[in-house]
Amino acid sequence: MKTQKTTKATYQVPVGPIHPALKEPVMFEFEIDGERIVDVDVSLGHVHRSVEWASRRRNSVQVLYLAERICGICSYCHPIAFARAVENAVGIEVPDRGEYLRIIHGELERMCSHMLWAGVAAHEVGFDSVLFLTWQMREKLLDLTEYLTGNRITKGITMIGGVRRDITKDMFPKIFETLNFFKDNFEKLRHVFLDDKTFKLRCQGAGILTYEDALKLCAVGPTTRASGVKKDVRVDQPYFAYSDLDIDYITPDALTGEINGDVYDRIIQRLLEVKQSIDIMEQTIDKMPSGEIVAEPKIPKLLSTLKKAEGEGIGLHEAPRGEVIHYVKLEAGSDNPYTWKVRAPTYNNILPWIPMLKGEQIADIPIVAASTDPCMSCTNRVTIVDKEKKYMLNKEQLHRKSVEKTRRMMK
Amino acid sequence: MTDTKVLDANSVVKSFKEEFKTKIKESKIEKRSAGIKKIEYYHIWMKIDRSIFKKSIKHLCGIQFPHLAVVSGNDLGKTIELIYHFSLNHGHKNKVVSLNISVEIPKSNPTIETICDYIPGALVTEREKQEMLGVIVKGIPDSRRLFLPNDFPKNVYPWRRDEKGLDKMIRNLHEVKK
Amino acid sequence: MRFSMLPTLLSQMFKKPFTNKFPAKYTPSSTTNFLQAVSKGKAKIIPPVETPYGFRGKIEYNKEKCTGCQLCIKVCPCEAIEFKPEEKKIKIYLSRCCFCSQCNDICPFGCLTMSNEFLLADADKYSKDLIVE
Repeated sequence: MKTQKTTKATYQVPVGPIHPALKEPVMFEFEIDGERIVDVDVSLGHVHRSVEWASRRRNSVQVLYLAERICGICSYCHPIAFARAVENAVGIEVPDRGEYLRIIHGELERMCSHMLWAGVAAHEVGFDSVLFLTWQMREKLLDLTEYLTGNRITKGITMIGGVRRDITKDMFPKIFETLNFFKDNFEKLRHVFLDDKTFKLRCQGAGILTYEDALKLCAVGPTTRASGVKKDVRVDQPYFAYSDLDIDYITPDALTGEINGDVYDRIIQRLLEVKQSIDIMEQTIDKMPSGEIVAEPKIPKLLSTLKKAEGEGIGLHEAPRGEVIHYVKLEAGSDNPYTWKVRAPTYNNILPWIPMLKGEQIADIPIVAASTDPCMSCTNRVTIVDKEKKYMLNKEQLHRKSVEKTRRMMK
Repeated sequence: MTDTKVLDANSVVKSFKEEFKTKIKESKIEKRSAGIKKIEYYHIWMKIDRSIFKKSIKHLCGIQFPHLAVVSGNDLGKTIELIYHFSLNHGHKNKVVSLNISVEIPKSNPTIETICDYIPGALVTEREKQEMLGVIVKGIPDSRRLFLPNDFPKNVYPWRRDEKGLDKMIRNLHEVKK
Repeated sequence: MRFSMLPTLLSQMFKKPFTNKFPAKYTPSSTTNFLQAVSKGKAKIIPPVETPYGFRGKIEYNKEKCTGCQLCIKVCPCEAIEFKPEEKKIKIYLSRCCFCSQCNDICPFGCLTMSNEFLLADADKYSKDLIVE
C-alpha cells in the first residue's frame, strides 16, 4: 500500500453577514476541523448608515432624535450619552430632579433589554416556552414605559440639560405595581434559568473568556463582569445621581461563589443585574428631590447658547450591553456639531469572540454569540463551502442544529 | 485579580510631565460634580507630540494598564487630530479618571504607530481610523477595511472635509426635480 | 429538575389569553363585506386598547394662533414641516413625521398638540388624511 503524505485540510465556513444568533448582520469566517472551530475571523459594517456624518447637517436638538434611532433596544442610552457630552463641552448643569428622573428611565430600559435577551438566549438553546414567559413579563415593562414617556420603544424623553416629562405623584402607584409584579415573579425566573438541567448542560463550560483576555481586549459590560473584571460606569464615575445611591459592582460569585467566565455565568450576571435595577429604582423614587426637570426650558435660548459655545466633551453611560461613549466637538458660530463620534458597546465586545469561540462546536455558535448580547441591527444566512459543492444553511437550519444538540445532551 | 493602586489625576499628569518635559504641549484637568452630595470626578486632556507617542503609551501601561474606550478623529484643515480616550482606576468606587490624549499629524504624512502590541483591544478602532480618515497605522497586524464595503472607492475618506471627502457621492433622496 | 416550566404551562391553559382581538375575533374573508356589515349594524368592531394619557399620536394644528415664526421648522428632525410664505402658516406631512412632539415643546403660542389617533395607514403618501394644514 502506498503511504500518502497528506493531512486533513480545514474547511472555511463563512457565517453571515446575516447572523445565526441575534438580530444583527456580522460576518464570521470559521476554520473548522470536523465539528470543532480552529480559528475565527470577524468582519463588520453591513448596516453602516453614516450616522456620524449625518450629524453635520443637523443642529444639536435634531441630533438627539437621530441618535435615538441608532439602535432599537438601546434607544435611550445614545441620546443620553450625546446630551452628557454636550453638557460637558458647554458646562450646562443639570438640576437634581432631572438627574434622578434620568436614572429611572435608564434602569427601566436596562430591565426591558435583559428580559428580551433572556428570551432570545432561551430560544437559541431550544427552550421556547421560556421565550414566551420572559417576553410576557416584558410587556408589563413596555406598558409602564408607554405610560411614562408616550411610546414603547423610541422614548424621546431626553433633552440637553434634563428630561422632557416629569413623573408626578399620581404616576407612582403604577410604577410600584410593576415593580412588585417583578419582585414576586423573579423567583420563578431564577428557578427556570438556574435550576433547570437543560441550561446547565448546554451552558456550563461553553464560550469561556478568561480574566486576562477580558482585560487585554478591553471588553465592557456584563460580558466582562461575568469574567471577574470590575468595570461599571455607574459605580466608577459619579454621574446622574448614582453616587448618592447604594450600589456596588456585581459579579457572578455573589450567587455561586466562583467565577468561570462561561455562558452560564453571563446568564447569572444578567439576572442579578435585573434584581439590582429594581433595587435602584426603588431607592431613586424614595430619595427624589423636588425642583426643575431641565436646565433651560426655553429651547430657542438653548439653541442660541449652543450656537455660541465652543469646546469638546465626552459623555459616558452604562447601557445594558456595556459602556457607551460619545465625543462631541462644538464650534462657535455654527449650530451643527463639528465632530460626533459614537462608540456603541458591542464594538469592544467583538474581539473577545475570537478566544471564546476557538475550540467550540458549530452548534454552540448561536448560544455563545447570543450570550454577549450583540446589538448591531439585523440577520442573515449561513453559507457552508465544502470542497466541491456549496450549500446554504439558512437561519432555521442552523437554529435547528442547535436545538438538536440540546436534545442529544438531554438523553 | 490584584487590586490596582488608586491614581490621582494630578499625579498622572505630573508623572507624564517629568518623563517627557517639553514634548507635552498642553494639559488640562477638568473637575465636575454630580448628584446631591456633589462628589467630584476628573477628566484629563493632554496634547502630545507625535515623536513621543509610542513611548508615552508604554509609560502609561507601566503606571497602570488602562482601558481604551475609543479613538476619535478631527479634520482640522491642514492636520488630522486623533484623540485616544483612556480610563484608569477601574474597580474603585467613584475614583475612575478619564484620560484623553490627543496627537496631531500633518496631512502630508499621515502616519502613526500602532499600540496593538501593548493593548490588543485597539485593533478595531485603529482599522476604523485607517479607512475613515486616511491615517496610515504603522505595524498594524490586520489592515483590511472594517466598516466600509470592499468596493468603496479607494481615495475617498468619509470623515474628511477637504477634496478627499464624500461631497461627490451624496444623493438627496427626498428632493424631486421641479 | 427537568420539567421546571410544566406548572406554568398547565396553568396557562386555563387563563384568558392576553391578546385583545381587535378588530374582529377571526379574520374576515372579505374586508369590504365586513365593513358593510358593520355599517348596517350586523357586526361589531372590538375596540382597541385604551391609549394612556400623554400618548403621542396624530398631530393637531390650531391655525388661528399660528403667527408663522418658523421655530417648529428649525427643530423638526425629519424636515416634515413646510412653510407657506403667502399665508404665513405651516403644512405638516405626516408621512415624514416621526411623532417626537418636539415641535409642540418649542411653539411659543401652543398651536400644536398630539392627539391619541394612531390608525393612520393609507395607500398614498400625500393623501388628504396625511397632510395637516
